Amino acid sequence: MRYPKSYDVIIVGGGHAGIEASLINARLGMNTLLLTIALDSIGQMSCNPAIGGLAKGHLVKEVDILGGEMARNIDETGLQFKILNRSKGPAVWSSRAQADMTAYRLRMKYTLEHQKNLDIKQEMVDEILVENNEVRGVRTNLGNEYYSKAVVITTGTFMKGKIFIGLNTYSAGRAWEPPSEKLSDSLRKLGLKVSRLKTGTTPRLDARTIDFDALIPQPGDDEPIPFSFRTKELNRPNIPCYLTYTNEKTHEVILKNLDQSPLYSGIVESVGPRYCPSIEDKVVKFFEKKQHQIFLEPQDEKSTEIYADGLHTSMSYEVQLNFLRTIKGLEKVEIMRPGYAIEYDFVDPTQLKQSLETKKIRGLFLAGQINGTSGYEEAASQGIIAGINAAFYLLGKEPFILGRDEAYTGVLIDDLVTKGTKEPYRMFTSRAEYRLILREDNTHLRLAEKSFRAGLLSRDEYEMIMEQRRKIEEVIKRLKTTFIFPTEETNKKLKMLGTEIIKTKTDLAKLLRRTELNYDKLRELHPELEELDKFIKQEVEIDIKYEGYLTMQKQQIEKFKKYENLKIPEDFDYTKVGGLSNEVRGKLMEIKPTSIGQAMRISGVTPAAISILMVYLKKHNDRFKNSA
Amino acid sequence: MQKHDDDIIAAIASGQVEAAIGVIRVSGKGSLSLLEKVFSKKPPYEHRKIYYGFIKDKFGDVIDEVLVNIHKAPKSYTGEDLFEINAHGGLVCMNKILERLFEVGARLAEPGEFTKRAFLNGKLDLSQAEAVAKVISAKTERALKVAERQLQGQFRSTLDDIRDKILFLMAENEVRIDHPEEDLSSITQAERLKMVSEIKENLKKIYRAAKYGNNLFNGMVLTIVGKPNVGKSSLLNLIVGQESAIVTDIPGTTRDIVKESFSIKGIPFSILDTAGIRKTEDVVEKIGVERSLRAIDRADIVLAVFDSSSELSDEDLQIIEKLKKINSEVVAVINKSDLGQKIELSKIPFKHKVQISCKTGMGLKQLEDKLESIALKGFSDRELISLNASQMESLKKAIEMCEQLEQDIDNDIDPALIGVDFLSLTDYLDEVIGRITNEDMLEVMFKNFCIGK
Repeated sequence: MRYPKSYDVIIVGGGHAGIEASLINARLGMNTLLLTIALDSIGQMSCNPAIGGLAKGHLVKEVDILGGEMARNIDETGLQFKILNRSKGPAVWSSRAQADMTAYRLRMKYTLEHQKNLDIKQEMVDEILVENNEVRGVRTNLGNEYYSKAVVITTGTFMKGKIFIGLNTYSAGRAWEPPSEKLSDSLRKLGLKVSRLKTGTTPRLDARTIDFDALIPQPGDDEPIPFSFRTKELNRPNIPCYLTYTNEKTHEVILKNLDQSPLYSGIVESVGPRYCPSIEDKVVKFFEKKQHQIFLEPQDEKSTEIYADGLHTSMSYEVQLNFLRTIKGLEKVEIMRPGYAIEYDFVDPTQLKQSLETKKIRGLFLAGQINGTSGYEEAASQGIIAGINAAFYLLGKEPFILGRDEAYTGVLIDDLVTKGTKEPYRMFTSRAEYRLILREDNTHLRLAEKSFRAGLLSRDEYEMIMEQRRKIEEVIKRLKTTFIFPTEETNKKLKMLGTEIIKTKTDLAKLLRRTELNYDKLRELHPELEELDKFIKQEVEIDIKYEGYLTMQKQQIEKFKKYENLKIPEDFDYTKVGGLSNEVRGKLMEIKPTSIGQAMRISGVTPAAISILMVYLKKHNDRFKNSA
Repeated sequence: MQKHDDDIIAAIASGQVEAAIGVIRVSGKGSLSLLEKVFSKKPPYEHRKIYYGFIKDKFGDVIDEVLVNIHKAPKSYTGEDLFEINAHGGLVCMNKILERLFEVGARLAEPGEFTKRAFLNGKLDLSQAEAVAKVISAKTERALKVAERQLQGQFRSTLDDIRDKILFLMAENEVRIDHPEEDLSSITQAERLKMVSEIKENLKKIYRAAKYGNNLFNGMVLTIVGKPNVGKSSLLNLIVGQESAIVTDIPGTTRDIVKESFSIKGIPFSILDTAGIRKTEDVVEKIGVERSLRAIDRADIVLAVFDSSSELSDEDLQIIEKLKKINSEVVAVINKSDLGQKIELSKIPFKHKVQISCKTGMGLKQLEDKLESIALKGFSDRELISLNASQMESLKKAIEMCEQLEQDIDNDIDPALIGVDFLSLTDYLDEVIGRITNEDMLEVMFKNFCIGK
């Protein structure tokens, strides 16, 4: 049937990408439909029961300031909160929280259900409807045709999903849920290049059969910090994880049974993530390591299911049980669900624009694992960008794009559409060149302006953030212009604070740069300084203590922007540029970089090719000339 | 005249030197119909064929008997229609042919313009174009050989070593940040410091090799100072005359900028104010030392001439005082050593001293050895390389950044800040060792460290 109601935007899939895409469209006033294979799995955490982590915490906070839900949801359903890398500098602090995955999922479902402008239906999408390279809607397994002006596909691992446990395989989108067998064929027919990727998960263990007393507890922080800038107070428990290790016996069991592994017996040929190797991979590739860490994480406050982080595996059930029982604390363990590997279809992301719209089909957007990424946070950040851009496409606005110098989300998407990926792509802080500026703590400060202008942030929230920024600048200025003098009394106080005395007139900012001093200690020295809110204090300290490096990073960004601002017109004809090798020309025509900067990041595009391109553009393009 | 990239350009390709056969190269769209107007052999002209005939002036009179070879677009050096006239009439005749070509529509090519066109038409990539430019600009056989060797990538292994070490250190630094929960047995602080110091030393080595390599390419400027009649002019004749001189007279408004170029042991040198030196010596003017000292600020090496057969005069001492204050290298040339030694050598405070007789030629070899060792600082040709000014500047900054890194690693500061250091370091080295991308770093990280849960 042709469904009587038509929509502005249809979202295919109710995972972490689909949720953000649905909510932001509905919140921007679009008439939105979310179609999912299983209503009960909306917001399901398919792998580890945690949100955030290194570089991922940044993504969650970016989603938050852009009007997303992930941060608020974990703030309401976390089981412990922790700032990772606390011992290192603020640029690499990252928030991570264990989630009550059932509570997480249900709160997401309720949030969607109570969202205005959003319909939710349980149907499987088999086909994308397209006319004249423009999306028209979708057709589902029930024969329903839904019409819309834009479609966002977020299928996760469901397209032609195939699960491997030992030498057994079966078709599934996730553990025991049905896969989507037809949709990727529809995408192929539309001319999109579709390939296979692989990922895996760990066995879930029964807490009643684990000897926790023998293990090292890993609680969260005593003073948890929320993910969302909107959350004023966290009222959540602090439930520990437990640390244990594999040993030589574990490794022996695995090595003896490699013929039971679909990875090593040649059944699975697609590429898995290097950063998230299976335990069999770790044992084989790092043969010299005598032990590997295992974190046992609670999945749910009330359930006895335990997630065994560090033990991704697709060995047979028997081998899984045997190696698990060699591990300290797990001697009598019972498996509730085995670990498995899953292979699925993904769309080569170089076929996307920076807006996550496909280059081939107007109005068709892709987000999440379908683009070759891995991780809930990576999915959510693409979901919100694809969602915003679907809405902007309908509203006739310029695409909403974050640069590599603005957000981790910008780095993620630029990497995907520029370089593509050969393995499931995960965010790392090292992928972000300018991470000293793109910190987690300043996420809302750095993105408020852009978010507000795009209509993603309310005026009140925006004013509140601007006020914080003003305050920070004001305090910094005061510290830089307040001087103290080497009087006997001052130097006595300095000695008491455990720091060197001064010999000449010195401003307070200079003193604050000393490792052993902080803002509160300066107040002891100079009581006229006002008391500050914890967050403002932290930002002032970071800005002053790291000033030299921040300046250096700003210079690096200037250099980067110079090339980013050399725009290449969308209709640029590379066949007219002499001197490019066929390989380079082919790549440029495929990726269609929007700037020289992006062109430079395409693998295989040599510096020589870039100079030829620049010479040509300068010669033939006035717009380029003016921007250069 | 407005210059365009689609003009027909022409130039003497064999250099402004008297030689048995000279070559004039002409390139540009329509250049073959231009040839038709001046050449006795009429078309068709085929690609890669050589034609015999005469170049004629506008009255139809023969200028020269020539061979012309044809290269058609896009298979020529520049990617355009191109021909070369091989004439044998010497410079005067060559210039006449050139003028004739201008009459029918060609214009004089700017320096390097043929190569620029080859680059613009995709016949060369930028690095090749640079290397070719280097080869072209090499003034001597020796410089040419060094440039060619660099083209073949002789110092690649040093660069690869630097690159590998930087990548490893970056990956190691990133592991600390992105995988803090992993119990990785990392390398020690001392080992990290050692690697940075090795990177720095290698960069310094390249810097020095390039600094002295550039002396071989760009040449060095000499000047000769000394009191009247001490033998400046004879010394000039001795060193310039010894080699087959490449004489470049740059016409100017004052004779100060007249210089003579020549090479010693394959290193190009030029001498400033040669006219001044000759003239003052010839007429035995009493202009004093002032004029003789005029060019020292612009010289890399100052040859200070003294008379071996007499004691140091007040003028000599005046010159010595002045030279003690300058940065250029000073070589004391003790002339007239055939007339005995009255001079007190210990009173001349310069490190480099050579005794010579301009009259007999004795000591010339020692002077030349001295000049070579100052120019190349003992680097062998195998070690010398050539980098351009911006590459040199980047190298210098990279070396400074290594020092910053040493300090930061030593102070065990935040790895994220060390990451900023590395980013700057790789930015600076982009041109020299090739771009280091995040992907390259991750590759090394996953290979060397067992990470991931």
